Amino acid sequence: MTIVDAPEVNPDALELIAEACAAYPGRLDAFARIHPWYGDESLALLERAIVELGFKGLKLHPVTTIAHPAGEDTLRLIRKAAEHSAPTLFHCGDEPLATPLAVARAAAACPEATIILGHMGGYAHVDEAIEVAERHPNIVLETSAMPYPDKIRAAVGRLGPERVLYASDGPACSPRIEVEKVRLAGLGKDAERLVLGENAKRLLDAVS
Amino acid sequence: MTVDSLTFVGESISGAKASAEELLSRLDEAKIDRAVVCPLKPRSSLLEEANDIVAAAVRRYPDRLVGFARVDPNLGDDAVRELHRATGELGLRGLFLHPWEETFRIHDPRVDPLLEGLTVPVIVAAGYPWLSEGLQVGELARRHPGVTVVATNGCQLNISGLGQVDAELALAGNANLAVQTTGVYREDFLEGVAARFGAERLLYASGFPFFDPRLEVLRVRWAPNLDEGARRLVLGGNAERLLLG
Repeated sequence: MTIVDAPEVNPDALELIAEACAAYPGRLDAFARIHPWYGDESLALLERAIVELGFKGLKLHPVTTIAHPAGEDTLRLIRKAAEHSAPTLFHCGDEPLATPLAVARAAAACPEATIILGHMGGYAHVDEAIEVAERHPNIVLETSAMPYPDKIRAAVGRLGPERVLYASDGPACSPRIEVEKVRLAGLGKDAERLVLGENAKRLLDAVS
Repeated sequence: MTVDSLTFVGESISGAKASAEELLSRLDEAKIDRAVVCPLKPRSSLLEEANDIVAAAVRRYPDRLVGFARVDPNLGDDAVRELHRATGELGLRGLFLHPWEETFRIHDPRVDPLLEGLTVPVIVAAGYPWLSEGLQVGELARRHPGVTVVATNGCQLNISGLGQVDAELALAGNANLAVQTTGVYREDFLEGVAARFGAERLLYASGFPFFDPRLEVLRVRWAPNLDEGARRLVLGGNAERLLLG
């Protein structure tokens, strides 16, 4: 995904990602990072990304867009993604608009959608992320940047190994270190295999 | 030599706890030689007790541990007296301030009496909103140019990276400010600090038991864009010079 919110800053953002993924088939899958405030234009961008360009999910960053996760503009995008069984990945950390409780409002409003909490709550909201995931079965936690290996183990223990996804947030974070973080969690071979790849593959393969 | 420039022992009111033996065991696993050890905030909230625990740990393992004293600036003269007791009678080698857990602004005037004339370094728990943001820590360093101020967490603690610019501004404006690697997931930020401000101003730290030294030390050992001289400084040379005395 890009680090800007289409259609802002770079109007060719989706094409940029589509070209990168096309250059490495089987290695890269695209998520469309979209600004919810553009109404029907935002919806059309997402539809085109999934149907025409083969994108696998929606990425939302409420801190850069100042769009609340449970705002109507955002919910329309999440529901559109869910029509294609595509998950929505939220930046989820320690700032207003992006806390687990805020994102959980979107998960409650769109029970048909898979909602991924990126960074699984950041530095200070990790326990809150696990708690909202316990309450909402359509929430999945993603491990990038969050610096506590033992919290990955706690999440797997409380939610099951199918609801935790490894991610690196690269290039901001080192994939090498982020993988090692999951290994340090000591999940056991079967759970580690799910977290490090099989869960993500299952989600991506379901998109239609 | 590898030095973990921030660890804790004791039993915290928040539930975290670690004995000196647990700390050393985890350091051994991560192949870390020495550590700066600070007090956790005890259930009693009496930091004198916590300083005594740190001093006892250092007495048991003088070749591995260097102790820092923790005081609460809200207590005014009592905090100054405790700092003198801890750095004198107890032999602790620096000051640790935690604005979040003791609830004070790091640049509140009540902090100044602790730093005036101070000859030992200060570690500040940094990056906490409202209380120890990057520029706020920078303001403390500006007011006390003769004191070495070391900020935890890269002087910013934000999963979006939103505090990085203010941390860099604080470093740019204050030569007496250095930052630790504690929990900083952004390797480009860590390498950028070394490149722009000098590797002399970046110190490896784990923050054990809040963070895991086995993971935290990799942020430096595996950083691809640090040359070997810089890596040695960050892993231990800087801590030896600035904190171990």
